[in-house]
Amino acid sequence: MATSLDRYKSGVMPYAQMGYWDSDYTPKDTDVVAVFRISPQDGVDPIEAAAAVAGESSTATWTVVWTDRLTACDLYRAKAYRVEPVPGSPGQYFSYIAYDLALFEEGSIANLTASIIGNVFGFKPLKALRLEDMRIPVAYLKTFQGPATGIVVERERLDKFGRPLLGATTKPKLGLSSKNYGRVVYEALKGGLDFVKDDENINSQPFMHWRDRFLYCMEAVNKASAATGEIKGHYLNVTAATMEDMYERADFAKQLGSCIVMIDLVIGYTAIQSMAKWARRNDMILHLHRAGHSTYTRQKTHGVSFRVIAKWMRMAGVDHIHAGTVVGKLEGDPNVIRGIYANCRDDFTKKDLTQGLFFDQDWAGLRKLMPVASGGIHAGQMHQLITYLGEDVVLQFGGGTIGHPQGIQAGATANRVALEAMIKARNEGRDLWNEGPDILAAAARWCSPLRAALETWKDVTFNYQSTDTADFVPTASVA
Amino acid sequence: MSELDFKPTSAVAEPCSGIDLRALSSDSQVDAVLDELDRELIGLRPVKQRVRDIAALLLVERARKQLGLAAGPPSLHMSFTGNPGTGKTTVAMRMAQILKRLDYVRKGHVVAVTRDDLVGQYIGHTAPKTKEILKKAMGGVLFIDEAYYLYRPENERDYGQEAIEILLQVMENQRDDLVVILAGYRDRMQTFFRSNPGLASRIAHHLDFPDYACEELEAIAQRMLEAMQYRLSPAGLAALHEYIPRRMQQPHFANARSIRNALDRARLRQANRLFAQRGRKISREELITIEGEDLRASRVFS
Amino acid sequence: MRITQGTFSFLPDLTDAEIRAQLEYALDQGWAIGIEYTDDPHPRNFYWEMWGNPLFDLRDASAVMSEIDACRKAHPETYVRVSAFDSTRGFETTRLSFIVNRPTHEPGFLLKRHETDGRHIQYTIESYATQSPEGRRYT
Repeated sequence: MATSLDRYKSGVMPYAQMGYWDSDYTPKDTDVVAVFRISPQDGVDPIEAAAAVAGESSTATWTVVWTDRLTACDLYRAKAYRVEPVPGSPGQYFSYIAYDLALFEEGSIANLTASIIGNVFGFKPLKALRLEDMRIPVAYLKTFQGPATGIVVERERLDKFGRPLLGATTKPKLGLSSKNYGRVVYEALKGGLDFVKDDENINSQPFMHWRDRFLYCMEAVNKASAATGEIKGHYLNVTAATMEDMYERADFAKQLGSCIVMIDLVIGYTAIQSMAKWARRNDMILHLHRAGHSTYTRQKTHGVSFRVIAKWMRMAGVDHIHAGTVVGKLEGDPNVIRGIYANCRDDFTKKDLTQGLFFDQDWAGLRKLMPVASGGIHAGQMHQLITYLGEDVVLQFGGGTIGHPQGIQAGATANRVALEAMIKARNEGRDLWNEGPDILAAAARWCSPLRAALETWKDVTFNYQSTDTADFVPTASVA
Repeated sequence: MSELDFKPTSAVAEPCSGIDLRALSSDSQVDAVLDELDRELIGLRPVKQRVRDIAALLLVERARKQLGLAAGPPSLHMSFTGNPGTGKTTVAMRMAQILKRLDYVRKGHVVAVTRDDLVGQYIGHTAPKTKEILKKAMGGVLFIDEAYYLYRPENERDYGQEAIEILLQVMENQRDDLVVILAGYRDRMQTFFRSNPGLASRIAHHLDFPDYACEELEAIAQRMLEAMQYRLSPAGLAALHEYIPRRMQQPHFANARSIRNALDRARLRQANRLFAQRGRKISREELITIEGEDLRASRVFS
Repeated sequence: MRITQGTFSFLPDLTDAEIRAQLEYALDQGWAIGIEYTDDPHPRNFYWEMWGNPLFDLRDASAVMSEIDACRKAHPETYVRVSAFDSTRGFETTRLSFIVNRPTHEPGFLLKRHETDGRHIQYTIESYATQSPEGRRYT
């Protein structure tokens, strides 16, 4: 940094000299640390670009201001302390920036995000900018509620252990009236799914008013519960135009005895935190649909990585989050997805660059967030799904249930039988990846819905190039 | 444990042709355990031979079984007699491994107990206590040290008999699930077996553990010191040489354990000796050397 | 009907060998095993009767199998389930739970609808079995 005599002389000065670049800085345990992928414009020095990002996401402005000297400005400046080129991508740099804890309001995702991504992404000297990962200090994590229910309590409430949970989105997405909608829910739950859900844009439209939907869905849920002896649920979407409307819908869901409600990401971070508080107060599981995220999470060069969104959502306090399927119709590279799932489910996430995890993250006892895999998956992929995603996950087969040739109940049964057979085989020590098709075929011999499902969808795969992959490739280790 | 799974071998032939015992043996990797036993324990030649005999018997039984010549599950319960510190517990653990590798027990862990773990203090206490121990030992070996304490005929309120009854049941009916090894002093075990013929009749193999000879104890001492990164000076070695026979005459001699205790006391004396000279710098050599005086300070020499 | 509680209830009833395999898996993970039974299979009846205390520190499934057999023999016409419990931090909960015995005839549940104001209905699920007193529910 320039000497204090020069530092506050009026005029423009490189950010790196204003104190936003400090290669000797070691982040404190209480600092929030972010890593950005910076693509500077041609001719812009990467260190200056990193310092500029640090500056524009903390205290700087484009010219020197004397009023800085009325504050303990050294504390409030974010410090870029490390810049390294991204392997295999010339012109891109990873830049590590540390923010003092004093910059943030406790328990506020809105403040955290406004601070870090609120100002800097349109900055002209950068061609592109992406927030790759964040390390949240334990001191800050403890000010957040965290998931209202969490994986452990959710399972205990449902009394379902040892296997992934099964869900489906009602199809068609739009257009059904409430009574017919409830029929789909009943059939799917009776056939063997644990949950059915509203889609993200099912709110309260001319073809289906929300109150009607809630009433018919709860009839379906309770009827299916009595028919099977299991606890069943339907994610009632309470997303609305205003918080007042949301609270009204959520309260109604509670009155009707639902165990779970859902919200969409597009309601905004503040609304999400409010709903998480409400969910905890009302013993409700809170499902989050990540509507709209792909607008900014999918391209490697610009935006916010979904792993950071997942972290924020765990802090904000949702219990379920859509987090990718790997083998389904939506974007998802296996290593990146693994990293996202780790952020949701670990007590302590270890740094692993091959999964895009740039930091060790201690979750300070925050409850675990249940990832949800949804989008173009079917029973024939069960062995791959369990191998990639593990056991603490909700697998949602919308089309894969409702599109079954023998009907919705058969579709649900096929999925449930495939899942249980696969878990049983895994516990017995079989090699799921290679023997999966055999295990499914063996179960299909006595379960005709499963046989039909495998026949119908056996050639369906979604093999496209991933747009969002990790930059670090696992190196071959000497055996 | 997982690498020890017994795999079906190429040595299994049709009933008419012969069995390759060597292949059977190497496939089960029993030799590795036997070799480790040889290396790990000094002396005990008769015991090691007995263990090899038993291993050979079990291997042949396995071969016979593969040809359909089974004669029911063999009884594997054993008794180990000898003075303390002669290696009984160590051999029990190796035996458990051998049994696992030859597929006679499923898991091969050892649960080591004494009377107090099996017998309760009041009516109704013993059965659940014993059964719980048995459950934990299922799939492996139950090693009961000083087993004769289970039997106290002079005290009619003693519940040891109940534990013995339960043990007898399990030793007879669940031979697939559990192997029992009883251990203790030779003469007391003999008395115990005479008073409990039911128990004696279920013991297939009796192994006796002789006391160590002086040279063997010296070798054990050297090995222990090496493991602790100490060495004896020539004077120390001479002192050890004289210490051992004297100590053996004293009461309560527990073989390897007594050697261990003596070495620990010598280390204490060495430490005090060095500490007394803490004014000057001490070399690494001095730190690892036990001197004659460290051993000669023992009461044994007075 | 056939209640579908438990991890493997959509598969054919597990044979003893299959139960043993699942128990071995649970013991390998270091989980404790509990055996419970009930004649009231209501989905919110979480606390089934315990058949003895949970079994800790076991290495082999035979101890559990003999307890399961004893429980089935003592209560042949009840639901019996086996649960495996994980005490590691971050879980401290049941990790696996499946039914190993069922009554020969499972009568199922009645859905009671209690109409309140407007279109609201309050739902209650009642097990047909519990309409008889204990001990005579599955005869």
